[in-house]
This record gives sequence, C-alpha cells and structure tokens, in this order.
Amino acid sequence: MRQKSQRNSTQDKVSKQTQGAAKRPIRVVHRPESSMRHPLQLFKNMGRDLLASRELAWRLMVRDISAQYRQSFLGFLWAVIPAVVLAATFTFAKNGGVVNIGNTDIPYPAYVMFSMTLWQTFVESLLGPIQAVAAAKAMVAKISFPREALVIAKLGEVFFNFGVKLILIIGLFIWFQIPVTWNLILAPVALIHLIILGTSIGMFLAPASALYQDFSKGITLATSFWLFLTPVVYPVPTDGVFGSIVKLNPVTPLLVTTRELATTGVISNPQGFWIASLIGILGLLIAWVIYRLSMPYIVERISS
Amino acid sequence: MMSINEQEISEKPQNNDSEVVLSVNGVSKRFCRDLKKSLFYGVQDIASEVLGLREKGDKLRPKEFWALDNVSFQLRRGEALGLVGKNGSGKSTLLRVIAGLIKPDTGFVEVNGRIAPLIALGAGFNPILTGRENIYANMSILGLSKKEIDERFDEVVEFAEIGDAIDSPVQTYSSGMAARLGFASAIHTDPEILLVDEVLAVGDANFKAKCFRKLQKLRENKTSFILVNHNPQAILSACDSAVYLSKGKLIINDKTLAVIQKYEEDLFQSSITQKSIVSMFLPQKLESETFGINITSLFFRNKEGNMIDSLVTGECINFCVGCKAYKRFEKINLHLTITELGGEAGIVLFLSGANDQHFFEMLPGEHEIQVQMPYLSLKSGTYSMTIKLKRELYTFETIENFIFSVKSDSTMSNCMFYQPRKWQIISST
Repeated sequence: MRQKSQRNSTQDKVSKQTQGAAKRPIRVVHRPESSMRHPLQLFKNMGRDLLASRELAWRLMVRDISAQYRQSFLGFLWAVIPAVVLAATFTFAKNGGVVNIGNTDIPYPAYVMFSMTLWQTFVESLLGPIQAVAAAKAMVAKISFPREALVIAKLGEVFFNFGVKLILIIGLFIWFQIPVTWNLILAPVALIHLIILGTSIGMFLAPASALYQDFSKGITLATSFWLFLTPVVYPVPTDGVFGSIVKLNPVTPLLVTTRELATTGVISNPQGFWIASLIGILGLLIAWVIYRLSMPYIVERISS
Repeated sequence: MMSINEQEISEKPQNNDSEVVLSVNGVSKRFCRDLKKSLFYGVQDIASEVLGLREKGDKLRPKEFWALDNVSFQLRRGEALGLVGKNGSGKSTLLRVIAGLIKPDTGFVEVNGRIAPLIALGAGFNPILTGRENIYANMSILGLSKKEIDERFDEVVEFAEIGDAIDSPVQTYSSGMAARLGFASAIHTDPEILLVDEVLAVGDANFKAKCFRKLQKLRENKTSFILVNHNPQAILSACDSAVYLSKGKLIINDKTLAVIQKYEEDLFQSSITQKSIVSMFLPQKLESETFGINITSLFFRNKEGNMIDSLVTGECINFCVGCKAYKRFEKINLHLTITELGGEAGIVLFLSGANDQHFFEMLPGEHEIQVQMPYLSLKSGTYSMTIKLKRELYTFETIENFIFSVKSDSTMSNCMFYQPRKWQIISST
C-alpha cells in the first residue's frame, strides 16, 4: 500500500520546488526515519536549538523561580533549610555519641552544611530535567519548541538556588573562621562538573520517567540512598569495602574536590576528579542526544 | 465571498508550486489504545531511533491501528483548508504530525515557515503568575524574542480584552478571559501557517466573531491556515478547500462545498442504514443482570393502537416502552431526549415524566409505558433518542441511540416543526 520507492523521488522534487522560493527562512521536513542516520544534520540541529533556546530558557526560568517563591511564606529560606536541619541533626547525634564519625578538616557543622549544600545542588541538577519534562508535559505535547530550553531553564534555577545557598556558605566561613586559599577561585569549575554529572543522569532518565512512573519513585529512593554513599555527613573513608564503594561513586571525587578547593586548597584525588568529570561530560552529550531523539515518542505516548 | 476565493485560485496556477507552504506526502501514523502496550512500543521506538535502526514503520504491531493512513495534500500560501471528520478520524493526529510534535511512521511532511499551533491555547500558562508574565512566557514558547513580544504586547492585551486585569494572577481570571488571552497571544505570533483546532469553541459569540475577523485579516496578509471544526458551516464560510478524513484515511480533498456535501452524505448514510429500526426488541435478561426493572422493547403505535413502522409529521402517535419489573416500585418515570442526526440544533426535545409530574407504580410483571403525542411535531429527518427509566435520581436503565426517522409531506417544507392548527373564518354579518 505505501509507496516506498516513490518516496525519495517525490522528496527531491518537492525540495527543488521549495528552493525556488527560498525567501522563507524556515524549512523543515518531518521524516519517519531515525535522525541518527544523519549525524551531521543532527549535531547541526542540536547546536541550532541550543542557541535558539537561550531566550526561552531565560523566560521559563524567570517564570518558574517567581512562581516558586510567590506562593511561599519562607521563600528563599527553603534553599538552605534542608542543609541546616541535616547539619543540626548530625552534629547533635555526633556530640551525643549516637554515631561514630571521624574528624573532619573543618568544624563538623560547617562540614555537613557545606557538603549538604553541594549534594543538594547535585540532586537538584539530577532531578531538574526529570521534573521539567513532567511539569511541561502539556506544553511539550502541544507546542514544538526547542526541548533543550526546559533543561537549560532548570540549570539556571539550580545556579540561582546555589547563589542563595552561597549566602549561607559565606556566613559559615566567616562564623567558623575557615581559612581559604587562592584555589577557591577554581572551586566553581569543580562545582560545574558536579552539576554536569547530575544533569547528564537526569537527562538520561527524563524520557523514561515521563513514560513510566516507576522511575520517578525509584529516583527519590535512589538519591536518598546515594547520599549515604557520598562523603557528606562523614569524611572520605580510607579503607574497607564501604571505603571502596564510596570511592567508586562518581559523585565522591567531584564533591570532595569542590569542597577541598574551597577550604584546604589541596586536592586529594585529582585523577578521580578528571575521570568523573569525563564521565559527566561524555554522559551529558550522549544523554542530550537520547533526550532529544526520544521526545517525539514521549509526546506520542503521553498525550491524546 | 466564495466567488472571490475561486477567482484567487484560478489566478494562482502559474506559480502554484512555489507557493506551497505545507505538503503532506503519504503520511501514516499507527496508534495503540492499550496503555501498557503503547508504553512498551514507545520504549521500542525510542531504542530503534537512538540506535539509528528506524527507517519507517509500515507494519502494524499487535493491538495497533492506523490513526492516519497514507494521507497526502498540499497547502498553499494564503490558503485556508478545512479539516472535517468524525471524532477519532485522525484530525488531531494529523495536526500533531504537521506541527512536528510526533514523527510520521511513513511518508513525510514538508513545512516552509513558522507554524503556530492553536491546539495549544494557553499551554504554558502558570496560574500563579500575572497575565503580563504569562504573555511573555507563552509567546516565547511559541518562538518569539523579547523584542518581538514587546512590540506586540499592547495589541495582545487589547485583543484579549483583559484591561487592568493584566497584572493580576491568571488564576483569578474567568475561563473565558484565560482562553481569550491564550488565543490572542497565539494569533499575534505572525506565523506563516496557523493550525486551528476547534479552539474557537471557547469564548462568547462576540469574541468568536472577532477571532474569525482576525483570521480573515491574517489570510489577506497571506497567512495559510488549517481549520478543524465540527461545524461544517464554519468551514464553509472560512475555507476554500477542505479535506475529509475518516478512520485515518483521506476520503476526499476538494473545494469545500463538495467535501462538506460528501461528509454530510456519509453522516446521513450511516443513519439511513439504521433507519429501518422504528422498533427495537431487547433480548431477555436475567433478574440478577437488571436493577429491578429493565426495558424490553421500544416501538410506536398509531391512534388505533397498532404498531407502525413509519412516522409521519402531524399524526397522532404513541411512543411505547415495554418493561419488565421484578419487584414493586413506585414513582417510576421516563426521560426522553431527542437529537437530530447531522443537524446543528443538538437536542430538539427533552420530555421528562418528572417534569410533567407523571409517575407510575409498577407491580412485578410486564408493563408498557405510553407517551401519547396527539400531533408528532418533529419535521422530517433522522433522530436519535435516549431513553432513561428512573425513580428520583436512580436510573434503572438507559438506552442510547434509538434511531428513528420521520417523514413529512410538502406542507412542511419551510417549517422547523409541526404546528397543529385549525383554519376558520368568523364573519359578522
């Protein structure tokens, strides 16, 4: 029934026709075949959409941030409350001897609060793409806009929230009189790598969790478990099975390096840092391709 | 207006080819109504897309059907195309493929220019934010830069008739206001192609008229659009050509009038095949399957009490509902809702025993409730009746879509309904 052989020939003809009227800027062809078959075109489109989504991402970010704080009494405080509560709990538990935690480079409450802030930023960047797709389902199903904008808007929100948290951190550093070195300037680089890793995981999971609810449930569970495999409330363990599991966790070197650059200025595991960064960056590119390619199929299945 | 459109078309042919803004070529799309399967196929499709295996999907997998089946047509610059078809005929799917939201399974769609989908009225509105903020967010989703939005902002607010409420949260708006704001921001994006999907059903009559005027103006500025509407009249007045889809297949693509005629013929045809049902006898049910009473038959009797198989306007008829009661019930009453098929009027008659304060008592056994109509006032046509057997809010049984047709003689040709009358002369001499 479907004329396969004719397809290509008609396609060429139509293309020639429209080239004649090349005044119009936008010409798009929607074809059934996989975009992976034309990788160059795919990368060109990815770059184009990334550029095209700047302004939209900004709008979406402004929209989300202002909506988020408008219907809230404590507002910006919510960015720092979890870190403060966790630090208070663990300091209390440690002093009471309930948990046995080794000594840290900097005062323990500051250690937990600072690490927790970094961890939270990582989790926010991981959940960002997933939440963005879930929240924008209706929009995604009805309007074709660069899907990248959703992720970028969320990234903006992550940075914005981190900015709020920064006030807490600066306060901490002054209060506990933590010495800093010139390496502090490099800390944002490590932080960005941490966010890249989170975003790549989030982007990778976003399409699947739009289809199956199991993912969003599982992710909540996984992140809370993951927190305890990351040196957030305890210093980096050096030995034992637990120690090696924590070392294999890609978040560990990124988070620890960020913390070290901001405080002592001595990087304990530069090799691990670069390996984890590489995983994050490569992962982000792959996840981006998957995210982009799967969107039409998500729309097809979630809307009717 | 029609004659002007036809002139335009006949003038075009020389540069027809370069004027094509949208061409749909042999597009098919398969769908699945089983949710679990559908999600699984989604994962399958994503996997083959990412691995680059997917070329096209021209085979149906289990439980799938063609939502669109080899559809082709073209849209030229400044042309308005109507899309008609019953619910589920694939109209929305087609618009989605055109808008690039979903990929076709076979064939391809070529688009020249920016598409504004009006299927998306107010998508991306955040109820907490003000109208102003939402206009900026919504219009940038539709692809405009801040500068472009700034230029259009006042026009949008004026068109939407929002006034001072523009700085209040959208959640305080009435549904009409929100819809107007959505329409205004979508239509002011100056697209080359507009996809209008039944959205004109929102808003009051004045605003609807305003929307149609705006569409007309856009068309004069060479915007093309595709209009989906259940109301053939709207398509007739706004479009020069139309496409009729049925079960995903393109039945006809021609001048609007021809397409609408074919569409209405089909609507009528499907009712003609059922026309012979002027009586209906339902299979016996077990007592456990009923709610105490069930309807066993539906038919008409004439004045003499004989069953009849044709209805004529103006005659005295009895509509009879045979039922069987298994227990004693009081306050039984009957609701009849009559709709004209293929008409625009919707419900033409609603008769309710409760409204008329006519209740019956039923003892176990068989009964026949009769609705006596001294004059059948329906004009000729095919009607669908819904019958409900009720006691207060409790419904024993509902029979939907009991189809019957009414004939009438030439005296009814200019009438909407039958008026019983007597002519006489009173003279004083």
